[in-house]
Amino acid sequence: MRRLALCASLLILPVALHATVILPIEFRELVTSSAVIVHGRVTDARSAFVDERRSVETFVTLDVDEYFKGNLGHHVTFRVPGGQIGRYKTVFIGAPEFAEGDEVVLFLKTAGGGIPFVTGLSQGAFRVLPDAASGRKVVTTPIVMGKSTGGVETIVRGDPTRRPLPIESFRDAVRQVLAEAARQ
Amino acid sequence: MKRAAAWILACVVALATAPTAFAYLKLGVRQGSRLITLRWNAMPIRYFITNRDVPNVTAPQLRDAVGRGFASWAAVPNVTISSEFVGFTGFSPVSGDNATVLGFSNRPELDRVLGSTSFTVDTVTGEIVESDVFFNSAFAWSAATPGETDRQDIGSIALHEIGHLLGLGHSMLGETQLFSGGRRVLGAEAVMFPIAFSPGTLNRAPRADDIAGISDIYGTDTFRNTTGSITGRVTKNGSGVIGAHVITFNPASGRLIGGFTLSQDGTFTIAGIEPGPQLVRVEPLDDGDIASFLDTSLNIDVDFRPAFYSRLVTVPRRGTSRSIEIAVVAK
Repeated sequence: MRRLALCASLLILPVALHATVILPIEFRELVTSSAVIVHGRVTDARSAFVDERRSVETFVTLDVDEYFKGNLGHHVTFRVPGGQIGRYKTVFIGAPEFAEGDEVVLFLKTAGGGIPFVTGLSQGAFRVLPDAASGRKVVTTPIVMGKSTGGVETIVRGDPTRRPLPIESFRDAVRQVLAEAARQ
Repeated sequence: MKRAAAWILACVVALATAPTAFAYLKLGVRQGSRLITLRWNAMPIRYFITNRDVPNVTAPQLRDAVGRGFASWAAVPNVTISSEFVGFTGFSPVSGDNATVLGFSNRPELDRVLGSTSFTVDTVTGEIVESDVFFNSAFAWSAATPGETDRQDIGSIALHEIGHLLGLGHSMLGETQLFSGGRRVLGAEAVMFPIAFSPGTLNRAPRADDIAGISDIYGTDTFRNTTGSITGRVTKNGSGVIGAHVITFNPASGRLIGGFTLSQDGTFTIAGIEPGPQLVRVEPLDDGDIASFLDTSLNIDVDFRPAFYSRLVTVPRRGTSRSIEIAVVAK
């Protein structure tokens, strides 16, 4: 099966990326369906064989800064498919990748008391970075959420109201959804 | 045809408003500072099918759907792709068997994933030692020719995943909407759009954007001799914008092809474009899961408004347009 090889003679620049077919999650659903929502920094990411050495997963540990929902303690370890063991890297297309030092907000689920996993594969992983202009921490992926809970609304790319949010505003948005859900 | 016409109209209207757009990417794996691009160098691509049925789709039906998927990509004019079904296997489509396997697998922890493709790469040599495609049996599937209400069409998803297996990344050629209780696809002009249509909807044929992408990877000299490319730069406050989605639209044919700025200086090159005048639009990837398209370590900028290049850009046959610069402004 070693019949694939890299090819460098391509017309356009290649890019490392992820790809799969997903069912999309609206932000309210992401918040309400996740058991745990946590903001923190990655302190460890190590890959291991699972499923009788037939699959590779990466177990990522987060040093928790704050829980927006749920609580799993000061540190939380979750799993993502794919990873690297020795010289062999298994890329599970669509799975988020984490490195030590990454600051993230994660939406996690647990199944049967097992190790948590990210809701919706990479849809439940939001990166936190300092804003270039202000230096404030911002969640770089904008929230995709309807302006109201009813009706149909086309998502327009470049909508000026959909911007990266300061971490405090992102947390407020999560809590607002949780409060709305609690009232229903 | 109605949907194609609607997309053409949407792009024309885009001159005055701000709708959505389209693109293709090629698949790669970053290893340190090195980028390993995924491409099959030897044909035919030999694959196995997991011998496992799911309700409404048997393993032979999956084999047939996968066969049609490979055939659809191979039927693109001026590309060199071939494949061979080797047989059924008891192995699941997971890594570790050194075989290319496509099949159903129950992955409840992948709660929103209908299907996905994985690669195992030797990071020393750059060789790909294995590739697998799984379809999540946690969902309801259909192999019926007209599709089935409330079931995902295996033919459509297989075509998408085989596109990945061949080295294609995702296209942004699609539009979604929010409705009470969720989000759904409004329309897509690419098989490689990453968000699934509602169950029962079919998307079984590569479109112009898919064709440009697969041709860019496996195209013959005929393809390269009959198309051209556009190159340029996207800037904000004088600096390059990374992760901007750049779309070209041919007003004569209605074909839409795109790409992304992939470096800190905001440069882009989009190949496989029909010769002639093209409209060029730039927009942010602010409505989706960035990791579905690009390496998140690239620090993608999504904080800008859509913009058009002020003039039509002429693409020469077998050549590259003059370099253009499109300046965008923050939201």
